[in-house]
Amino acid sequence: MTAYILRRIGLGIIVLWLVSVVTFFLINLAPGGPSAAVSFERTASEREALLKLYGLDDPVLVRYGKWLGGVVRGDLGVSYNQGLPVALLLKQRLPNTLTLGLAALLTATILGILLGTLAAVYRNGWVDHLVSTITTLGMSIPGFWLGIVAIILFAVELRWLPASGIVSSGRSADFLDRLKHLVMPAGVLAFTLMPNVVRVTRSALLEVNRADYVRTAKGKGLPPNRVLFKHAFKNALVPVLAVLGLVTTALFSGSVVIESVFGWPGLGRLAIEAANGRDYPVILGATLLAGLLVVAVNLLVDLLYAVVDPRIRHD
Amino acid sequence: MTDSAATSAPQTAPEASASSAKLWRKVRRQPLGIVALLLLVVLGLAVTLGPVIYAQAPNRTDARNTLKAPSAEHLLGTDELGRDVLARVLAGGRVSLSVGLLAMVVGLTIGTIAGGLAGYFRGRTEVMIMRLVDVFMAIPNFFLILVVVTAFGNHPITVIVTVGIGFWAQMARVVHAEFVKVRGYEFIEAARALGATHPRTMLKHVLPQVVPQAIVLASLGVGWAILTEAGLSYLGLGIQPPLASWGNMLQNAQSYLWLKPELAIYPGLFIAITVLAFNVLGNALRDMFDPRA
Repeated sequence: MTAYILRRIGLGIIVLWLVSVVTFFLINLAPGGPSAAVSFERTASEREALLKLYGLDDPVLVRYGKWLGGVVRGDLGVSYNQGLPVALLLKQRLPNTLTLGLAALLTATILGILLGTLAAVYRNGWVDHLVSTITTLGMSIPGFWLGIVAIILFAVELRWLPASGIVSSGRSADFLDRLKHLVMPAGVLAFTLMPNVVRVTRSALLEVNRADYVRTAKGKGLPPNRVLFKHAFKNALVPVLAVLGLVTTALFSGSVVIESVFGWPGLGRLAIEAANGRDYPVILGATLLAGLLVVAVNLLVDLLYAVVDPRIRHD
Repeated sequence: MTDSAATSAPQTAPEASASSAKLWRKVRRQPLGIVALLLLVVLGLAVTLGPVIYAQAPNRTDARNTLKAPSAEHLLGTDELGRDVLARVLAGGRVSLSVGLLAMVVGLTIGTIAGGLAGYFRGRTEVMIMRLVDVFMAIPNFFLILVVVTAFGNHPITVIVTVGIGFWAQMARVVHAEFVKVRGYEFIEAARALGATHPRTMLKHVLPQVVPQAIVLASLGVGWAILTEAGLSYLGLGIQPPLASWGNMLQNAQSYLWLKPELAIYPGLFIAITVLAFNVLGNALRDMFDPRA
């Protein structure tokens, strides 16, 4: 098991390093790269000073080396637009994204497993069709538009929930107020993430239901519900666990847009601001952090997977 | 599609009428898919012919007639600059659908080439390509797209390529798995034994077996690409105004939610219906190609 864990961690580090290579060189070798960004409408001497200030006067490989060296020590450079260390900006925003992400992930997982189970139990019945309609809608409706519609309904018309932000001004200690701000963005994000969980749960349960040991349990005369929850469910959850890694990646993508809709000051919104302002160090840092989190979650999922299903460790 | 594809492929010239009757039987079993396809045809016709039939220009502003309710002149009313909403929805649809289709072509082409090479040649090629796929899968799509758009700007062509790059890795994964599977079939071995070159074997024998799966991916991919372009344009990083797209129409609409919420409803409704149709069509095609169904 230790060897397996070490190998997975090593692989994760390699993937992360490659993520840094891909993003760094995409940005730095592009025609509109950082050195172009500091050269708009400036005199030659100003340009030179700026290039020097941002360390852009070195060849790109040297710059990558310096940048990576900093990254390893937790130094992600300084934001062009805000003049603050990128690491500090990320540290300020990350907790907000994690709050939103965890709330959405939890909701999507619980609801997804519930709906998937219902669909499998009542296979081909109206419940199954209803669930399948909900998941297809979840896959088709743009999250940001659903967010806008939710704002129209719950903030503009009904005035139940605040339209944007993370907390009302001057009430930062009010838990209920924070919760009210969280409901809409987390709910919308969860709705777009749920379809994958529902589908995998449903098909995994149906698959397990065909297994010999489940047939044996049924043959022994156990009541169907007992077979489902005592025997089938545990094994059906294994593929569901696997899909959570994929869902986490989608979560980060989704949060970029959802955070903008609801004015949620998270990582995604920081990345958008950086993209709009061509703030390269920030967008690099945010992407790398998102990659790190995705790799970490997938590593965790893989390890849990190996714990749950011993066959995997020995491949 | 796996088993039927393997057994039907080596057959010599199946009777045409019998196979088309069989196909029709399969098609008939997917009424929802047929509805989705018809809906897409109607949408396609509406956005291509709409501007010819509907006289209002999508970009003409009218300062005296801003945020107007629907009327005989402006069927869906006007936006904050007095532009005709229906004309913009139609023009935006043309942009969103084209970007979606072309981005899918980009993603599917890169994905098929990469996944195909990896699955066919295996070995070191496979390790290298699939590791790159892992890397792209580790970067959340939207962050990757932001990086590319920041670096390369947001010309419509760039947006198309960017959105395509956003999902080539998923495509490559599926195509790779299919190639690995088909590669193991006996008729491939037979083709090789008869002296077929690698390119010929790949293109003539393996690729056709992967086509059904690729069609399903393409249909789901267009939906995904339209959603992504809409999100990107909504954030102001995709298609730039005054050129309308369903996404960037929503960008301004959010400022007028309290005054005129309908502005935010129409473009989103069109995105949802279009993507829904592509997803339903994709699922129907998947069921149709599934031999177990």
